[in-house]
Amino acid sequence: MTELSATPAAVLPAETAPDRYRRPSIWRKLRRDRAAMLASGFLTIVIALGLLAPWIAPYDPYDNNLRNMLKPPSEAFWLGNDGQGRDLLSRLLYGVRTTLSMGLIAVGLGGSIGAVLGLLAAYFRHLEGPIMRVVDVLLSFPSILFGLAIAAVLGAGTFSITVALTVAAVPSIARITRGAALVVMQQEYIAACRAIGMSDLRIMFRHLLPNCASTIFVYLTLQLGQTILLGAALSFIGLGAQPPTAELGTMAADGRNYLFFAPHVSTIPSVAIFMIVLAFNVLGDALRDVLDPRLRQ
Amino acid sequence: MRTPRPATLLGALALAALLPAATLASAETTVTVMRTIDADRYDPHRSTARSTSEALFMTGDTLVSLDPDMRTIRPLLAKSWTVSEDGKLYTFKLRDDVTFCSGKKFTAKDVKASIERWLDPATKGVVKNRAGDVKEIRAVDDTTLEYELSQPYSELLYQMTQSFHTVINIDQVKELGEDFGVKGMDGTGPFCFVSWEPRNQLVLKKHAAYKWGPEFYENRGPSKIDTIIWKIVPEDNNRVAGIQSKQGDITQYIPYWAIDQLQANPQIAVTKAPYYFWTYFVGFKITREMADDLTIRKALNLAVDQKAIAEGPFFGKAEPAYSYIHPEVLDYAKDQVDTSIYGYDLDKAKALLEEAGWKVGNDGFRYKDGKKLKLLAYSFTNIWQQVMEAMQGDLRKAGVDLEIQIFDATVIWGKLGTQDFDMFTMSYPYVSAGDAMNLYFPSGNRPTPNRVNWADDTTDQWLNEGRSALTAEARFDAYAKVQKQVHDAAVWIPIVHEPMYMAAGPRLKPIPAHGIYGAGLYKGLAIELK
Repeated sequence: MTELSATPAAVLPAETAPDRYRRPSIWRKLRRDRAAMLASGFLTIVIALGLLAPWIAPYDPYDNNLRNMLKPPSEAFWLGNDGQGRDLLSRLLYGVRTTLSMGLIAVGLGGSIGAVLGLLAAYFRHLEGPIMRVVDVLLSFPSILFGLAIAAVLGAGTFSITVALTVAAVPSIARITRGAALVVMQQEYIAACRAIGMSDLRIMFRHLLPNCASTIFVYLTLQLGQTILLGAALSFIGLGAQPPTAELGTMAADGRNYLFFAPHVSTIPSVAIFMIVLAFNVLGDALRDVLDPRLRQ
Repeated sequence: MRTPRPATLLGALALAALLPAATLASAETTVTVMRTIDADRYDPHRSTARSTSEALFMTGDTLVSLDPDMRTIRPLLAKSWTVSEDGKLYTFKLRDDVTFCSGKKFTAKDVKASIERWLDPATKGVVKNRAGDVKEIRAVDDTTLEYELSQPYSELLYQMTQSFHTVINIDQVKELGEDFGVKGMDGTGPFCFVSWEPRNQLVLKKHAAYKWGPEFYENRGPSKIDTIIWKIVPEDNNRVAGIQSKQGDITQYIPYWAIDQLQANPQIAVTKAPYYFWTYFVGFKITREMADDLTIRKALNLAVDQKAIAEGPFFGKAEPAYSYIHPEVLDYAKDQVDTSIYGYDLDKAKALLEEAGWKVGNDGFRYKDGKKLKLLAYSFTNIWQQVMEAMQGDLRKAGVDLEIQIFDATVIWGKLGTQDFDMFTMSYPYVSAGDAMNLYFPSGNRPTPNRVNWADDTTDQWLNEGRSALTAEARFDAYAKVQKQVHDAAVWIPIVHEPMYMAAGPRLKPIPAHGIYGAGLYKGLAIELK
């Protein structure tokens, strides 16, 4: 027993020594990627602006004044006014906050559920069939259809759209996690953990999950951009944030009828969505390059 | 040379993708009319949709027609008529030169069969009250029809101008069964039903024998156009671009932002109906908590700035509404109705709520006994969404939290049949005060179309008096009492009276718009190439 208990630590407890040495290397590599640094800088600023919106927004984003309707950018209103005469800059700041919150919550929650399902499917082979078939069914539904179905049941709004995005995020992350976990399961230290009588839960969450974490994290980063885009699309078709909540997809939809004579109303939130999604995609790609051991070699 | 706008080019491309090649290569006498939504069916007795009426006015005829002044009844299939002293018997003398599109000769028996089919429970006919309390309909001979009522109906002739009274070929109804109005509709109108592709297009051909159009038309028939294609073009931008690029010829569904743009285009003729009665309002479900409070309803009315809404989402084209019906409509009781609570006065609205004990909390909204002053409104999409957002902003300034739930047209009618909301949006056409009051305020019309749940025996009695009045004065007096009563109760927030604009493209002469039931082309006899 004494000899065996010493073995796993010697073999490779993934969350211990090697990770600590790896981290500075990842950061150094990431810093060399200019696009990734630009994307992370941009996202940091955007997240900070969203968080600080109540304090830095020049006007109340819900204060309508129809006499200012569709006014172009001016000294008083830097980004102009929307169809209700509300300040577009203030709504943009609040909109970023709503859109990012929906995306982060959905990916965080959906990612967690998906990761657990993926781990269970990989670790308990008798669960693999049922879990993966459910995942296959979920994957076969277009995400927009999920949104429609959930909005029909729960009613349109940020809550139901977040639920829809969460459900949409689960299957792909479950599949990715299962794939990564199956590879890790072949490692000797997992067999060693079992041999010393470690509990299944401990093996899964102390050894299996940390060794799949980089794969999951990279995928989540890439997924975040897609989730934000999907959320904006669902809001654009009226299933998302309800008036007067500021949300980028809803704001883009509100301005589409005025595209030819007040293009700023629709294009400003659309550009914001584009930039945010692009930044998450660039960052996700860079993280994959850095974290994927095959690419590292 | 004028450079086409980007909007025109983009829209033209989009529309070109929608229109079939046959339409694009249309003959000179084919005219394409663009509209936003399709009908559920083209059966006069089984649909109340404006889209249905638009086509039925062209494919069929009614006994009488309505002048563009929206007051004067004119002959159509009936050459003349008399009304008995007790107001119960209408005797119509019919034309003897009328034929259906199928060639069948029109007689009084067709009118009798049409009305009887409408009233037959097996038909599941809609708005049967518009036929009056029918006792018996008799075809005395081919050209004489007796329409007998159990009690007088002062609105009958006005109702007879509507598409529900369209005379149909009952033989075809028997032949087509459930497909009547879907695969065919044989009428006596200036155009004949050819084919219908739901949510795409309805094709009508000229009725060559037609010569009995209403007398206010310069051309009483046959039509100068061979084919009319009613095309569904849902996107605003596409319709605007389509009319400018000749992809479509006519539309009355002009987005408000585009009216000035089209009027400035010398190739487009934009006309406006001189009389048109279509009002937008927000109703209260007065059996719900908070919406049942008269003070709150009055305060909310005072907090809404109708003028700003008319100038904002309606781009200054609509008329702010301070009464439930248009002041120019028949039997509007101008001197009896108190409209003082329907103007915008935010300070007065706040004062009313303060007096009623609704105090402003830290979040800017009002509270009383720990309850927030919050109401839930169900709304349509499109322009209603903009109107409701504007209203939401107005009410917020008064400390009222208005939650809006927007539903697509396919969903909202079902939602409006429930009791789950405090307020709702609606717009409606009418020809008279009685028409409007009898639709929305009889207790028997709950929960729809009486969605406010108005139930009052006195109102029912006055409505009945108005319906059965034998003189115009008695009718006016009865309906004036109802108007005063419901206006005092502030059960609606009137928003705007909608105008009707009609745009005719470069190939066509200007088309005078008619205000009947929102169907601006009416019989379509004014459509003519340049």
